[in-house]
Amino acid sequence: MNGSDVIVKVSGLVKDFRPGFGLRRKRVLHGIDLQVRRGEVFGFIGPNGAGKTTTLKILMGLIRATEGSAEILGHDVRETAFRRHVGFLPEGPYFYDFLTGREILRFYGKLAGGHAASPESHIDELLEWVGLSQAADLRLRAYSKGMLQRIGIAQALVHDPEVVFLDEPMSGLDPIGRKEIRDLILRLHGEGKTIFMNTHILSDVEVICDRVAIIAEGRVVHEGGAHVLLERERQPFDIAVSGLDPELAESLVTELDAELRGRGERVEVRVREKDVDLTLERILARGGRVRGVAPVNAALEELFLKAVEGGPHEEEGA
Amino acid sequence: MKHHLRAISAIATNTVRDAVRNKVLYILLFFALVLIGTSFLLATLSYVERERILQDVALASIRLFGAAIAIFIGVGLVHREVDRRTIYTILSKPVSRVDFLVGKYLGLVTTLWIQLAVMSAGFVAVSLASGAPVNGGHGIALALTALELAVLVAIATLFSSFATPFLAACYSVGLYMVGHVTRDLRALGALSDAESVGVLTTWLHRLLPDLESFNWTIEAVHGLPIPYDQVAWAALMGVGWCVAFLTTAALVFERRDFR
Repeated sequence: MNGSDVIVKVSGLVKDFRPGFGLRRKRVLHGIDLQVRRGEVFGFIGPNGAGKTTTLKILMGLIRATEGSAEILGHDVRETAFRRHVGFLPEGPYFYDFLTGREILRFYGKLAGGHAASPESHIDELLEWVGLSQAADLRLRAYSKGMLQRIGIAQALVHDPEVVFLDEPMSGLDPIGRKEIRDLILRLHGEGKTIFMNTHILSDVEVICDRVAIIAEGRVVHEGGAHVLLERERQPFDIAVSGLDPELAESLVTELDAELRGRGERVEVRVREKDVDLTLERILARGGRVRGVAPVNAALEELFLKAVEGGPHEEEGA
Repeated sequence: MKHHLRAISAIATNTVRDAVRNKVLYILLFFALVLIGTSFLLATLSYVERERILQDVALASIRLFGAAIAIFIGVGLVHREVDRRTIYTILSKPVSRVDFLVGKYLGLVTTLWIQLAVMSAGFVAVSLASGAPVNGGHGIALALTALELAVLVAIATLFSSFATPFLAACYSVGLYMVGHVTRDLRALGALSDAESVGVLTTWLHRLLPDLESFNWTIEAVHGLPIPYDQVAWAALMGVGWCVAFLTTAALVFERRDFR
């Protein structure tokens, strides 16, 4: 891999916090190593409290690392000048709500400098891009959560950065809001931006990310291609059945290693993907009625448990 | 350099816009103007030196309310930005923490000076209405009040950079009060029999800002000559204290984690 292709490089990152005055320091990051390549959407996933936001805050210069190094575009994250090439959307962003959408972009444009001392036309384009042209002159206090998230993305892009960091961009949004943000991220990706995204929503990872790293308890426990990771976990299918013949049920368990859930008229049969067709044929042949078939996405927590049990590893060729 | 100035200017302008929306600020300003107005009534209670009593009360009101506004808004200056997490998006841009702090400071000083201008206009109006003279001495007294407010905002900014608003207010008010008595303490210490007391009060006076050096109310009201060398020295010290407090605030702020 060419060195210039590495946009974010984190090596041995350690962070200790003192929970309170006079209390012993607590280690929240235990030597994080990461690399994000040019043009990819990198998902940094983990449960609450795993260390995602702490890592991101170190990258954004909001927190100082105790040990280790972090670089963006070859610059130490403690520098400031290179940040004209970096965009950031924090989790649950709050902006000066007495400003309008247009005014807030003007403000961040001035802070970013360079290209961003943006002409009004650039701000108009950006507002159009995030679908807020109609609300451009409304004060932010009148914005919905989804609109705030979109103006947050706009401020992250106001200076046309090379790399964009997003902290839980879909958190707290309704399905429509999530789709809008997801579409914006995919459009950014299409424009060749490198995106580093913190999230704990697995379905978003599946749609958006090229590569992921799982962090648990301050350690990266898995790093690799997003689809490979998810496909592995998606093998089981749940088949909802009513009127399942008890003999058939027993044979599915013994022969196909199926799991049965529920009792009485309606049960769920969980089988491996390769056994789905066969199971359906047998259920229908014995007079059962299939009510639904759905792949099972393992909860993120389950992934963590598996990853932690297996210990840290990185996929070959990932 | 140009970029730093632009960032500082953007943050300062935004701070002014934010501050002028603060309702408590208007309430304090309203009471200050009421007190300046009532100084007119207070003066009528006396048969002698009515104009001087009026101006004395009015200038004291300006100094007191100016200090209250400086401390009240100053102590939340940084804390509110961290608490509301607006600082995250600002510092993720090519803006240093020093730029941020200086921008916030200049924004609040500008706000206070606008307030001071309004209060000064009230003072001039009440003085002229009661036939009291207004001269250059009053201008100097008000200019040095402006400088004292700048020092107070620097003090509040320092404490705001690491403490909660309540603690920062306690520290700032404490330093404000001590700052107004260090000169008297030094004089008292010199009269003490114990040499150590004299040394202690002298060092206190040297180490802490002498806020009384900005108080030229008596000279202005009574039309006494104002020694310009002392005014110049007070101005120099004022600027020095602002730089010292802001530098310390920047050093503290540089090391802070925004969790």
